[in-house]
Amino acid sequence: MTGGKHSSDPPPFARHILSLADTKRILGIRYSDWLLGAPSIETGIAASAMAQDEWGHARLLYSMLKDFGFDPFEVEHERPAARYYSAPALDEPLEDWAGVVAAVAVVDRALEVALESLSSGSFELAQSRIPKMLAEEEFHRSFGDAWFRRLSDAGGEGRKRLESHVGAMLPSTLAWLAPEDGAYAELVSEGLVRSAAEVRDRFDQGFAHLAGAIDIEAAAVEPDRSGWDEMRRRGPGAPAEEAVERARGDRNRALFVE
Amino acid sequence: MTAGLGEEVYDVFARKNRGEPLHHIGYVDADGEALARIYAWTTYDEENWFEMCVIRRDNIIPVNRADGPWGRNRPPIGEAQ
Repeated sequence: MTGGKHSSDPPPFARHILSLADTKRILGIRYSDWLLGAPSIETGIAASAMAQDEWGHARLLYSMLKDFGFDPFEVEHERPAARYYSAPALDEPLEDWAGVVAAVAVVDRALEVALESLSSGSFELAQSRIPKMLAEEEFHRSFGDAWFRRLSDAGGEGRKRLESHVGAMLPSTLAWLAPEDGAYAELVSEGLVRSAAEVRDRFDQGFAHLAGAIDIEAAAVEPDRSGWDEMRRRGPGAPAEEAVERARGDRNRALFVE
Repeated sequence: MTAGLGEEVYDVFARKNRGEPLHHIGYVDADGEALARIYAWTTYDEENWFEMCVIRRDNIIPVNRADGPWGRNRPPIGEAQ
């Protein structure tokens, strides 16, 4: 499924949850790529902990889909890349450490804002399960902020790469965070999530101090909505096959016990 | 005390239960307190700690020894009170 509506498409709220879960799962994979390549042992261990957090959160979010008649096993282990709903900024591997820092600061932060939005709504499972995720996300935010400051203050090549990655990730991530489509408007009107304008404002408030450190005005960045696919709740493209194979656990199918 | 990458050494102390004494459980290299907290929490997560603290190694003042990891912080003889 790469566009257009199909009879098997999940309803809007299920697509919203899938979008959060898939983004967390792919983000966990992107963090895991750096367990042994981070700038120090401590940093690699922190990346490992964050990868585990993201996968744990994804599992909890996938399990919420049971309420909508989905089999979480199928959702986690059977879908092709073209049916992933993850944020486009994570489609390809993060090419250097500045890219990892940008992903924590931009994509992980956007996820946190989206989770806050979901937990503030009327869906009871989200109200009970998301607060613990948000508590763990505080560490991710501190980690991202500290490394962001370190690279931006150092200047030189590190700062240049950080600016480049943030500039590339922000527009598509802002579109992913705050969709301006009928499906999202429906969720807002049902009291399930905050409005697109409100989540954007919350993101900008949290990110402004970092953006300012690399001379970007967060509130002035335009979301990239080109090619928006309402049914996949994202722009064009899909996560790279290598990531989806790992997300699905393709190499371990003989060991599945669920 | 400076570690690699221009980082500082932070010593990590923790206790498993309320009322127990803090134990020195290890150290991390970090660029600043924010990262030291995260690195300590993720590196020494083998227990469900009741409390964990970090302190920059340069800020630990030894009382009766001049050797060991904190010995270099000892004030010269005559200045110690």
